[in-house]
Amino acid sequence: MAEDDKERKAWLSRRELLRRAGLGTAAVLYTGAAPKTSAAGPLKFHGREAANQLKIIQWVHFVPAYDKWFDGTYTKIWGRRNDCEVTVDHVNLTDLPARAASEVAARSGHDLFQHLSPPAAYEDQVIGLGDIIQQATKKHGPMKGLARRSAFNPKTKKWFGWPDNYVPDPVHYRRDWWGEVGERPTTWDAVSRAAPKLKANNHPIGIGMSNELDSNMALIALMQCFGSYIQNAEARVTLNTKATRDAVNFMASLYRRGMVSDVFAWVPASNNNAMLAGRISLAFNAISIMRTAELQNPSLARNLAIAPIPKAKQRLGLEHVMGVYTIWKFASNKRLAKKFLLDMMVPTYNGHFLNSRFYNFPGWPGAVKNVRQKLNADPSGKYGVLDTISRTATTNVGYPGFSNAAIDEVFNTWLIPQMFAEVAQGRKSAAESVSDTTREVQRIFRKWRNRGKI
Amino acid sequence: MWARSRQNVFAWLVVGPFAIVLAFPFYWMLMTSLKTNGDLYNVENVPFVFNEAEATPTERLPLKDQEWLPLGVENITTSSYEFIFRDTKYVDWIQNTALLGLVVVLITLALALPAGYALARLSGGWGQSAGVGIFLTYLVPPTLLFLPLSRVVAELGLQDRLWSLILVYPSFTVPFSTWLLMGFFKTIPPELEDAAMIDGASRLMALVRVVFPISLPGILTVVIFSFSLVANEFIYAVTFISTSDARTVSSGVPLELIRGDVYFWQSLMAATLIPSIPLALLYNMFLDRFIAGFTGGAFR
Repeated sequence: MAEDDKERKAWLSRRELLRRAGLGTAAVLYTGAAPKTSAAGPLKFHGREAANQLKIIQWVHFVPAYDKWFDGTYTKIWGRRNDCEVTVDHVNLTDLPARAASEVAARSGHDLFQHLSPPAAYEDQVIGLGDIIQQATKKHGPMKGLARRSAFNPKTKKWFGWPDNYVPDPVHYRRDWWGEVGERPTTWDAVSRAAPKLKANNHPIGIGMSNELDSNMALIALMQCFGSYIQNAEARVTLNTKATRDAVNFMASLYRRGMVSDVFAWVPASNNNAMLAGRISLAFNAISIMRTAELQNPSLARNLAIAPIPKAKQRLGLEHVMGVYTIWKFASNKRLAKKFLLDMMVPTYNGHFLNSRFYNFPGWPGAVKNVRQKLNADPSGKYGVLDTISRTATTNVGYPGFSNAAIDEVFNTWLIPQMFAEVAQGRKSAAESVSDTTREVQRIFRKWRNRGKI
Repeated sequence: MWARSRQNVFAWLVVGPFAIVLAFPFYWMLMTSLKTNGDLYNVENVPFVFNEAEATPTERLPLKDQEWLPLGVENITTSSYEFIFRDTKYVDWIQNTALLGLVVVLITLALALPAGYALARLSGGWGQSAGVGIFLTYLVPPTLLFLPLSRVVAELGLQDRLWSLILVYPSFTVPFSTWLLMGFFKTIPPELEDAAMIDGASRLMALVRVVFPISLPGILTVVIFSFSLVANEFIYAVTFISTSDARTVSSGVPLELIRGDVYFWQSLMAATLIPSIPLALLYNMFLDRFIAGFTGGAFR
């Protein structure tokens, strides 16, 4: 009997809890706090005065103030001037490709889509932007070579994207730890000499060899320093060379002597996390590491330095991020979308450059005047070198050729990091890995050549 | 008495480590969400307590000077909580998730209860195969389905609306729930319904008055399981909804609190801790029924 009562009591209290929780939830949902418009979607016409609408999607910028300025000030002012209500949606950088694929599949989405790598594979889904590119060029002079090679298809003569910005990719290193071992990462030989000592001090090098953006960028940049390229200027595969094998062997050796296995599970944030947590002594990354350290850990920031990519045969790195806007063929407001892009660059790109805290470098160098002077005005005094890096050591993925659809596919199927990882893990020799990867790259190039895109 | 105490000690020794391991993520989330950047990023600090560190201009220390507090609690900052409630649409995400979960659970129950019962009782020999077939549809991954479903959602004009998720989510909650309830209904002797029908009840009445009350563990399992699936789902939530107002917790937190390649750990932990506490309590309250539901034991 007592057991029955106990169970009954417990059951009643549970029921009571459920009842109260249900009532509470219903009350919250009902009393307006409620997802306002969510179930029905955002109100599209409520209080709307503008005649037009423009929808933009882009990444969540690592500088929160940039998004605040772009969404809350820049687009609002532009919208008022153009009788247009501008809405800006943001997606994390790793989710942009899925979102783009979804919009293309649905043939519906945003008027302006910002990609973070040249989206040549979408050439048939987007409109040509040659007319506004001509206007911007007329105002500012020629766009930067890497921007041109990231947004133009020389085969079809189509400008498939608007390369408003690129991001220089410096090396971040711990000045204090490198000082302890008596080296500076100016050449790859110096990195190789310092790596075992740094690792012995529990400060390994952190260069990813994983299926992700930063690994791709760092490793292709390393190849370029050794004189190795995926393709030549005529879009012919040139991967299977001694220079590539040297780069792969160098990286395998560097891994064994100066790195830890985390690099095989790298994600785009791993560089930042490991450097900010004081675990690694060198990383390739845009200035987000330095900027975050300045904000979150000033004592670490004081020990961090940025420098151009180390030199081997030559000093030639990549952009870290290539911001390219596209306008889908199914976009509902193509005319305004084009105007928005042009107005971003003409008369000046200053606001974007400064509000992104020197992250977004302009696709047209003439769109921001006195870059060096602006960089040097930063209180940290560390960013002047970005001007040198951007002018002398930054190029596009696929250099010396264009960032064509085949390069896009090679890049997004992570073949280059896999090629390096196979050798570093001892699963293949450099010759085997480079040869196998070349076969796969050639297959991809054949596919796109057959489609008439390269 | 001694034997009972010994039994208690033994039970604690067995259960204690499990409890610590399972509660640890909550502890870690709470600690991280309240730490200053200087404390969090100093690898020499003990991570299980709050350590004194230089606060950045945005970090407010509400308990500063209260040095009598244990574990260095005087060094906590509530900035991450202030940030998610003040500078993001976090409250909207929570409400959207609650509303979405509620509606999807209701739809799931409305479809899976009769389907599970029909497959268990009325389908004859092919019921089992049909049940397995339905379950197999649950195994098709969203990574394959989101592209064609994007087209469906666009054709219906549901993009950027919670309705898109309300439409799509039952496609994975209903098959699993039907399969689960089918197994559960099979453990209930049909004689109970027969007796009710002999007493004059219709099949529907027998179902409502006899079968459903003793199926409560199974139904609760479906409720909790469906709600959890909805709260965890990511791919559809990312691809069908791009406006911040209409996001759910599972998409809003990673999409808006990871900025570029920078993780804002404190706000991420705060944002995940808040919804996980009521869910954990809910699981705990109904744990015995949840287990009964999954193991199909209607009669204890």
